Amino acid sequence: MNIALQTQPPALSDYYSATKCIWCDGCGNYGIWTAVKYALVELNLRPWQVCLCYDVGCHGNGSDKIEGYRFHGLHGRVIPFAAGAKLANMKVPVIAFGGDGATFSEGIGHLVHGLRSNYPITFVLHNNANYGLTTGQASSLTPQGQPMNTSPNGIPERTLASMDLIFSLNPTFVARGFSGDIELMTRILKAAIQHRGFAFVDMLQACPSYNHFATQEYLLDRYFDANADGHDPSDLQRAKALATQVQDRIACGILYQREDIPDFYNRLIPRRGLETTCVEEVRRYDVSEYWKELV
Amino acid sequence: MSRISLKVVGASGQGVNSIGAIVAKGLKRSGYCVFGYREYPSLIKGGHASNQLDISNERIRSTETKVNVLVALNHHGLELNMEELKPGGIVLHVTPGWQFPEHHQKLIAERSLRVIYFPVDDILNRLGARAILSNVLLTAFVWSMLDQDIDALKSLVGETFAKKKALLELNMRCIDEGYSFVDPEQGTISVALPPPDKGFASHLLITGSQAMGLGAVHAGVRLYAGYPMTPSSPLLSFIAELENKTHMVVKQAEDEITAAQIVSGAMYMGTRALTATSGVGFDLMSETLSLNAMIENPTVFVLAQRPGPATGLPTWTAQGGLLQATSCSAGEFTRCVISVSNSQDAFDLMPVAFDLAEQYQIGVVVLTDKQIAEALYTQRPYDLETAEIDRGRLVVDPEKLKALKSSDRFNPHAQGGVSLRWLPGSEAATYCAQGDEHNSIGAVDESSLNAKSQMEKRLRKFHGLKAGLPAPKLSIGGHSTTTIDWMDTGDEIELLAIGWGSTGDTFQDVMCSDELRGRKIAYLHYTYLWPLRTQELQILAKRSKHIVLVEQNYQGQLGMLIRMECGLDIPDRILKYDGRPFFYDELLSSVMERCAGTTENEEKLPGFEHADSRS
Repeated sequence: MNIALQTQPPALSDYYSATKCIWCDGCGNYGIWTAVKYALVELNLRPWQVCLCYDVGCHGNGSDKIEGYRFHGLHGRVIPFAAGAKLANMKVPVIAFGGDGATFSEGIGHLVHGLRSNYPITFVLHNNANYGLTTGQASSLTPQGQPMNTSPNGIPERTLASMDLIFSLNPTFVARGFSGDIELMTRILKAAIQHRGFAFVDMLQACPSYNHFATQEYLLDRYFDANADGHDPSDLQRAKALATQVQDRIACGILYQREDIPDFYNRLIPRRGLETTCVEEVRRYDVSEYWKELV
Repeated sequence: MSRISLKVVGASGQGVNSIGAIVAKGLKRSGYCVFGYREYPSLIKGGHASNQLDISNERIRSTETKVNVLVALNHHGLELNMEELKPGGIVLHVTPGWQFPEHHQKLIAERSLRVIYFPVDDILNRLGARAILSNVLLTAFVWSMLDQDIDALKSLVGETFAKKKALLELNMRCIDEGYSFVDPEQGTISVALPPPDKGFASHLLITGSQAMGLGAVHAGVRLYAGYPMTPSSPLLSFIAELENKTHMVVKQAEDEITAAQIVSGAMYMGTRALTATSGVGFDLMSETLSLNAMIENPTVFVLAQRPGPATGLPTWTAQGGLLQATSCSAGEFTRCVISVSNSQDAFDLMPVAFDLAEQYQIGVVVLTDKQIAEALYTQRPYDLETAEIDRGRLVVDPEKLKALKSSDRFNPHAQGGVSLRWLPGSEAATYCAQGDEHNSIGAVDESSLNAKSQMEKRLRKFHGLKAGLPAPKLSIGGHSTTTIDWMDTGDEIELLAIGWGSTGDTFQDVMCSDELRGRKIAYLHYTYLWPLRTQELQILAKRSKHIVLVEQNYQGQLGMLIRMECGLDIPDRILKYDGRPFFYDELLSSVMERCAGTTENEEKLPGFEHADSRS
């Protein structure tokens, strides 16, 4: 990069990657991937200014299809890694991505505590209601009884009511997007990245290979932009109802947001008034002051 | 070397530790070296706990099984601990009308023990003081037995209650009462201490956990995440207690996996971050160790050992985690395992661990154990000028950052396998810290050629790391010496002992014992356990009549690594796996058994030469 480039606003092409996409035809990841790039560009963020953290799953195969400082980790663990990254350098926006398999099974504890802690990060749920990368097993968000790979009779477990769980944890930002509507997803992602606490973004995505129940057509027929319909994101009761009642129509948009709750970092009393980040503070410290009581 | 031991026993929560702590600090200020050792069960109230102080006017760093003074805060102590008294020892107890059983009466007579009943309730009633002050009364009486100055104790206790005037006055009256108490039957009793060495007065009384915490702060650690598990919890507590002064980010995580991931994220971003755990908690962290190896993210994990399997003996000590640290987690990768030994290197090794992690972009496991974590050491104030903050091939200069290519990050041809590293948020070409096998920019690449070259890149670090690690420390007859100097002198070694971790300090005291002083006993202490350097050991082994491995585990895990690395088999092993550390007298007799038979001839030979006979 040179100085001349810096005076220009960032462009989508800044996020181009030479690595070829390997998702299935019609995969919802293409749409989410595109919307992420739009959101970053529209927020005037250059690749070197952002940290994108990917969990394991089909979405995680996008970790090398975009520019930016990226991380591709272990199954279910992306939230604490992203939180640690953010707490170390509050100046860098940190966006974590995870699938419904990892997030609501192996990593559900991390999700619960991520919301509870209100870490200042964005979490994007790639929700295709199954384990795609391991060839279509049921996740805890797959409808009960739906035949899947390894469960030809459907799974005996009840479907996890994900939005009920999210709202039980007093979230500060809840949104839902649909992988077929890039403009909507871009608007949601921009708001999520700018949110001061833990932003939970549920992206409903088509999985043409393994999800034969909530298909692209199914989602396309049912989704609508609730904000365009006049939904006020500060209305908790209405937000909850919209988030959980998805039988007939699926409300998307920014369902709930409140900005009056400090995020985790801003609750840390020892950090109050400090302008520096933990990254900038690495040096040798004189600790003799701390051992006076031990003499 | 003269040593005196004083042991306070009672139920957990009765004040066993507060008496020990005040006496230890008072004696240290008077010029004594004190080594404190705690035993306690895994519960909060009740059970049988002890706090033992071993005291000398020379450096002392071990615990004896026999004591000069037993302070029993309840009758269980009188039942359980009488056998531990040395001849002429003192039993101080507070149980009214206690009748010793016949075998203890016999013991009292045979060992000429002096038994003092201290009427703590009577004195408390007379003073109108609550039971909590019984510890102050007892401490004051112990203080008088030790012939120490009453004003020193008053100023020490006064520091605690400086702001609570009413409490302060009552405490002072208790000190006067306790100090002036004379047992009607035994008369005035005193415990003879050797003359003090004022040099100790300025030392710190510090646990291994506190030492490690200070070392971490010194090393530039700015974020700590942990999940409570003994014996790693005292480190978390200490770091948390300091947070308003250090301004560090401290996170009590929801589990060990989270703690490991948070510090990994923080290290990836570019700060220095630390976590600690124990046993099965480390099992939970081990997947993250593997992840960091793949993304070449420098990390430091503290593994504070306690006996397992499973939750094992939660509040006891062990060295059973060595193979866990060197071998756990998926895949083959370069890692470094080091072990602290005492309060000195618990501090000194923290900057070293972070430097190694950043120089080689690897995970470093720092072993400690319950004994080191909770023992109380008399510690010379730390050198704050020597430690380096070496961040290896980290690029921060803006011009150099602009010249970087994404492919510099995981360049398989990088010298020694260590490629350039730069931090998220740096104005430079970006890369992916990729958990799947990847090419130089972090893009997934499963090709045969790439898989081979990246594996070789990561494993190539092992050779540089191994070549750069310091040699194990050799001590001869209790004096440290450089391995090279000593290996050249050509003397035959009567006994070569090999150990690591908390074993080392006890062995040093054993070598300094009157019984073994001047003997040709060599002790080789391993701080850097993986990669394992064996060249010095192999030379020394050829020159030794007898070799013994000293470890606190069942299998002789260091011995297994030695055999694996150089084929040297050490059949004679002093192993301990009952949750207790090596005790001074116990290890001394094990070592003496191995020296027996050669004594007469060896004593006529000239003593060992050593490079530094002062230390």
